[in-house]
Amino acid sequence: MNRLIIVFLSIMLSSVFAYADQHIPNLGKKATEFKDEGEKAHKREGMSHAASLILQRKMHPELLMHKRDKTLRQGVRGGYIQLKKCIECHTSVDENDEYIPINSADQFCSTCHQKVGISLDCFSCHRTTPSKEI
Amino acid sequence: MKALNRREFIKTTTTTTAGVAIIASGITLTTYAAKPQESNPVTNEKRWGMLIDTNKLTETDIDDMIDACQEEQGWGSEILSTGDQKSGWIKKIKVKDTATDRISNLALMCQHCEEPPCVDVCPTNASMKREDGIVLVDKHLCIGCRYCMMACPYDARSFVHEELTNQKEHMPRGKGTVESCTMCVHKVDKGEQPACVEAVDSDAVIFGDLYDSNSKINQTLKKIQSTQIRADLNLNTAVRYSGI
Ligand code: HEC
Ligand code: HEC
Ligand code: HEC
Repeated sequence: MNRLIIVFLSIMLSSVFAYADQHIPNLGKKATEFKDEGEKAHKREGMSHAASLILQRKMHPELLMHKRDKTLRQGVRGGYIQLKKCIECHTSVDENDEYIPINSADQFCSTCHQKVGISLDCFSCHRTTPSKEI
Repeated sequence: MKALNRREFIKTTTTTTAGVAIIASGITLTTYAAKPQESNPVTNEKRWGMLIDTNKLTETDIDDMIDACQEEQGWGSEILSTGDQKSGWIKKIKVKDTATDRISNLALMCQHCEEPPCVDVCPTNASMKREDGIVLVDKHLCIGCRYCMMACPYDARSFVHEELTNQKEHMPRGKGTVESCTMCVHKVDKGEQPACVEAVDSDAVIFGDLYDSNSKINQTLKKIQSTQIRADLNLNTAVRYSGI
């Protein structure tokens, strides 16, 4: 029985590590530029960049939910976690130089979610493209 | 182990606690420093309010206020909604004195009550009042039951009946939730004035902190006669009117 559990756990762990340094292709226009300039996005103090990215990947729902309550209930604005900022960096651009909605199929906020079978309702209210023109 | 007497025990525990406290404060300091600045939570030392002088406010002023609100918040261009379904965050209301037939025009929006009935009836806590007195819908929690719309004596809230796209970045809106005047909370938090107040050139509409004795609104309210609409309900509204 114990052995089975160990086998099971290591399979689960390996699936986490298998994806750990695999990047989704469409980071978005500004985020790609950002990365090409060698900037370390989502880097947190006291944490390696790789670890910060894993944290972002794992914890972004909690970060977003926490911030949205703080913004609405306490009027805390600005800072590092803002849904509009995610959209600003992570929206891609099509051949005609127009923004592709960030929640449409295979865009940044949907690739991973398609894989894990999550659908977000955020974008029924929040706009899906940056408000500034290109 | 050597037995500690009372004095030694207190001495060692105090130094250890102090040491831990110093290290811990160092840790919190660095984690805070890593984040770009967030604004501080709002407090109840302020209460935002508005004073509308119906003698000075012309009908075109009211139309300008409505236009400014639509422009700022992005409501009013719903295509499928008809009649009562249409959003109205701020409305033009005519009131007639039946004795004299005198007609005054009011701009009526959420009155940001101190004791808001909409908050009392909300089953999910979505209807809420911020510490600084601004009454909002937390649309994240809103299930669209519309009790608040029925409870509101001012008919100030609307319901979104259709799917929307291309909303304003600072004002997400979507089908199935209730919405109303936010007193342009996103601007007020930045130290600006609500869009409708900016739209009026004269001082017919004054916005400010009701509690601050140096603010124009506080001083004017002390000087002149003003009233709350449906004052009999004792809701203590933050939007006051003079000249009616
Ligand atoms: C029914 C409409 C609606 C839905 C659905 C919705 N939001 Fe919001 N959201 C709002 C409104 C309204 C605000 C307030 C904006 C303000 O005051 O600046 C807001 C603000 C926020 C904020 C703070 C402002 C910012 O840009 O960072 C975050 C974070 C946020 N929402 C996250 C989410 C997430 C995550 C979801 C999906 C799980 C979501 N919201 C779904 C309406 C909605
Ligand atoms: C300043 C631009 C910028 C902003 C703002 C931004 N990101 Fe990112 N994000 C990036 C870049 C660049 C990367 C890729 C980093 C790398 O691979 O080196 C990234 C990576 C990520 C990843 C990991 C993707 C992977 O490769 O597995 C997630 C998840 C993510 N971002 C979510 C968010 C969320 C949620 C927000 C809003 C709170 C946000 N990002 C805001 C630039 C940004
Ligand atoms: C690297 C892959 C990845 C990317 C990119 C990503 N997400 Fe996620 N997201 C996930 C996973 C996995 C979950 C499920 C987490 C869980 O259930 O614990 C999730 C869950 C969420 C949830 C919670 C949903 C729920 O119903 O509980 C929100 C909100 C969310 N993501 C927002 C976003 C936004 C906004 C973006 C785009 C800026 C984004 N995510 C990009 C992987 C990703």
